[in-house]
Amino acid sequence: MSGTRALIAALRERLGAADPAPPRVPMPVVPAPPARVYVPRREPARGDAGGARHTTALLAIGHVGTRYATDVVLQFQAELAVAHEAVAAEVPDGWAADHGFLPLSSRVASHREFLLRPDLGRRLAPDSLQRLRDQAERSPDVQIILADGLSATACVDSGPALCAALAAACQQRGLSVGTPVCARFARVWLEDEIGHEVGAKVAVIVLGERPGLGTGDGLSAYLVHGPQIGKTDGDRNMMSNIHERGTPPPQAAERLAALAAAMIEQGTSGVGLDLARVAGEVERGYRPPQVRQRLVEP
Amino acid sequence: MLLEPIVPTVLSLRRIPAADPALLVAYGADPTRHVALGLVTCDQDDALYVALDEATKHAAVDVVFARSFYAGSAHASGRLSGEILGVIAAAEPQAIEDGLAALVACLAHDACFYDADGQRGITMFPHVIGALGAYLSRAAGLPAGEPMAYLVAPPMEATIGFDAALKAASVRAVKLVPPPTETNFACAWLTGIAPGDLASCEAAATAFAAAVVDVAARPRTR
Amino acid sequence: MDLSATIRGVRYRFESVKELLGRANPPKSGDDLAGVSARSAIERVAARAVLAGLTLADLRQHPVVPYQDDELTRVVEDSLDEQAYRAVAHLTVGQFREWLLEIGTTGATLRSVAPGLTPEMAAAVCKLMSNLDLMTVGAKCEVVVRANNTLGLPGRLSSRVQPNHPTDDVLGILASMREGLSYGCGDAVIGVNPATDSPASTAAILTAIDEVLRRHQVPTQHCVLSHVTVQLKALELGCPMDLMFQSLGGSEAANRAFGVSVKLLDEAWATMKERGTSRGPNVMYFETGQGSALSSAAHHGADQLTLEARCYGLARRYRPFLVNTVVGFIGPEYLEDGAQITRAGLEDHFMGKLLGLPMGCDACFTYHARMSQDELESLKVLLAAAGCTYLMSLPVGDDIMLNYQSTSFHDIPSLRRLLGKRPTPEFDAWCEARGITRGGEPGPRFGDIGVVT
Repeated sequence: MSGTRALIAALRERLGAADPAPPRVPMPVVPAPPARVYVPRREPARGDAGGARHTTALLAIGHVGTRYATDVVLQFQAELAVAHEAVAAEVPDGWAADHGFLPLSSRVASHREFLLRPDLGRRLAPDSLQRLRDQAERSPDVQIILADGLSATACVDSGPALCAALAAACQQRGLSVGTPVCARFARVWLEDEIGHEVGAKVAVIVLGERPGLGTGDGLSAYLVHGPQIGKTDGDRNMMSNIHERGTPPPQAAERLAALAAAMIEQGTSGVGLDLARVAGEVERGYRPPQVRQRLVEP
Repeated sequence: MLLEPIVPTVLSLRRIPAADPALLVAYGADPTRHVALGLVTCDQDDALYVALDEATKHAAVDVVFARSFYAGSAHASGRLSGEILGVIAAAEPQAIEDGLAALVACLAHDACFYDADGQRGITMFPHVIGALGAYLSRAAGLPAGEPMAYLVAPPMEATIGFDAALKAASVRAVKLVPPPTETNFACAWLTGIAPGDLASCEAAATAFAAAVVDVAARPRTR
Repeated sequence: MDLSATIRGVRYRFESVKELLGRANPPKSGDDLAGVSARSAIERVAARAVLAGLTLADLRQHPVVPYQDDELTRVVEDSLDEQAYRAVAHLTVGQFREWLLEIGTTGATLRSVAPGLTPEMAAAVCKLMSNLDLMTVGAKCEVVVRANNTLGLPGRLSSRVQPNHPTDDVLGILASMREGLSYGCGDAVIGVNPATDSPASTAAILTAIDEVLRRHQVPTQHCVLSHVTVQLKALELGCPMDLMFQSLGGSEAANRAFGVSVKLLDEAWATMKERGTSRGPNVMYFETGQGSALSSAAHHGADQLTLEARCYGLARRYRPFLVNTVVGFIGPEYLEDGAQITRAGLEDHFMGKLLGLPMGCDACFTYHARMSQDELESLKVLLAAAGCTYLMSLPVGDDIMLNYQSTSFHDIPSLRRLLGKRPTPEFDAWCEARGITRGGEPGPRFGDIGVVT
């Protein structure tokens, strides 16, 4: 080997060209990009025959390179934060009693356990079982149960109003509703044990549903006839998306009461229930075009 | 990048363990001594001349043929042609193997052109051979083992560079080849005025390289 | 069979291959819920050490659900390619892992032995592999399938456009689909999860999508992911259907909970081969996901990874065009956090590919799982780098009907640029011709919903 490589490397050093970085390009002129603002209901994009107005999907938000504009990112993060907050929320201590509910709790001890152990969320804690036996009215036609489910936010914000409306709708149909109860860390199937203990004909559990992006305010209701431990999902009827953008609570209360009445009349629920006979009352109403809320104020 | 090595590519590398005598004669070998051939094409002719010479220092081989092609590797007759064919000959195939190994190592790690303008628009070959082998020493008319600066650049750059090299150290021109050559570069071989003066050869090559870079950066000056 | 190992003087014994498979699994909340996971980190390694010494033949002889009790086990056993099986039967699971990782073991070799592997073998070796191991082997498996498109070629990354709508509003569905196409998404399938599982709405959605795809000559295929019986009825209504879909579980009982059986799936496949509207020959689409068997109490005491592999053992009977694992959808009681969801995504992709399936992944999380958006984006990159055949794509990854977070229209072109991948050749040419891309880069009509009217 000759020493030529070292010789030329030394010359490169001497000429000040040893820096391996490529030469600096001329300083760019950086204009501020146009505002790409997230608009919940935007004008139809070029070539769009209004289709985007038929969905709450985030369409026509443009792109920066292949990624999102800053405003879209912030909106998206806000929506995610709202959903996560709703999941993490818990019903405050004393809230249930303060709002006229008999407070109950499942066998779940912590929020993490609630997420990981659905089996424990389906059974009452021993002291709650005792309280239910001591204090709840026996043998109502309909037992109404409010529960946190996967959104305590929805439970606390719109649960009492829906439960009150449901109780009134039931009573209007001549159905007794018993003692309203509120269960913490509850899964749907907890209605089986509660309903069975009080001897209700129908149990209805109203609980916060799994939040979607930007939403944590939805309630779902599950009804079962002849509640007892061992009932499966096929024995139940349900209604989801109970919130202002879906089925508003007053309409939901009417339909749920109609369902409960039908169950008592037909003596069954779930796949066995003939929905055709109550079609006029429980059919899903027209849903207007949806609008996504802007969370980050401009 | 400026003064980065541009490593030559071996485009083809074949052996003929027992060549036909007619072929041996045609390619300058001696059928009474040579049996096996090693053949190489490469995209840098001067790097291969140095590498062929290197092979003669490591194995009992003779360089029997080495010719640059017209207009260089950018205008080659095929994708394996490059700008030179070199042939070494030996009595034994094993000597060919040893010679080719030294040649390939020299091309990979030592002899090469360098980038003279940072964009590979101008390249040069400012190589210093520490000790000549049998092949280049005979070509240069110098004793084997002598140092020699082997300098190549495009016409203008080379001419300015040769002048700078000759004035920068106590060296003398063994050979000066003005343009055009087969590849349209110009070439100079310099050696020390005193025998064995490697330092002067190195100083001359460095001055040559610096002058070529200067011409590349400032093609017109008063 | 002695199933025991000693670590630091403590002897760990396991009663059965099934128990061993559960204890050897990396931590998953679903295995804790089922009570089959390791009780300590050391026991987990002990189980892996025992598992590493079992041969693939041992695993064939000990399926996690017995032959006489389960039609999935029978499907796998009765259709196993004996010649392919004999090529690897003598290897221990540990040796099998090393053989898979050897440079000399190519995609072509893996394809030739795939028909001789049982799901339990794929699950067992998976438990001995790290995430990067799973990616290394997953990336070299080559599974190429064709319907209207040729999916799974090297250097390609495809995507499903998932234009779901909470009330199946067809105009809303089409709007999402058109926007997805304008981002170069949708070469795997335009696949809609319907809100209403009825033949009429299935037929209505397919007919509307088909009209747009035909008018614009989009080289892809469509599918509505209603129940297989509903799709069969929709076909009777005379609607177009390029692919037929069904969710699969890892045992006969799990599939009963989904309302399907091998007999029904055989019938669906036969009907599709006759009446499906894509070119084929691959016309079926399956979705799976760790934890589904346990959620219907149909897990037979086995771990969720092994049950997931068994879904693939059933799926390959039908030479599907698409299979994907909906990895984070089922909830934190099965996969608790980002680390578990990431692991499961890579596991499922690896096992599916090893068993010869065109494996995609719905990299996703529900909002009650502990996973961040950044973790999900990382998983997408890992899957794409591991050669995952396709990912989902939705507007900002937000499914407004199923309420969960998946891959977005923007993510697919980002991943393709990052990793030097392109859509299927047919779809690539369509994107170039429409100006959605130019030379693989975003073109003049990239993201312009008006490119498809």
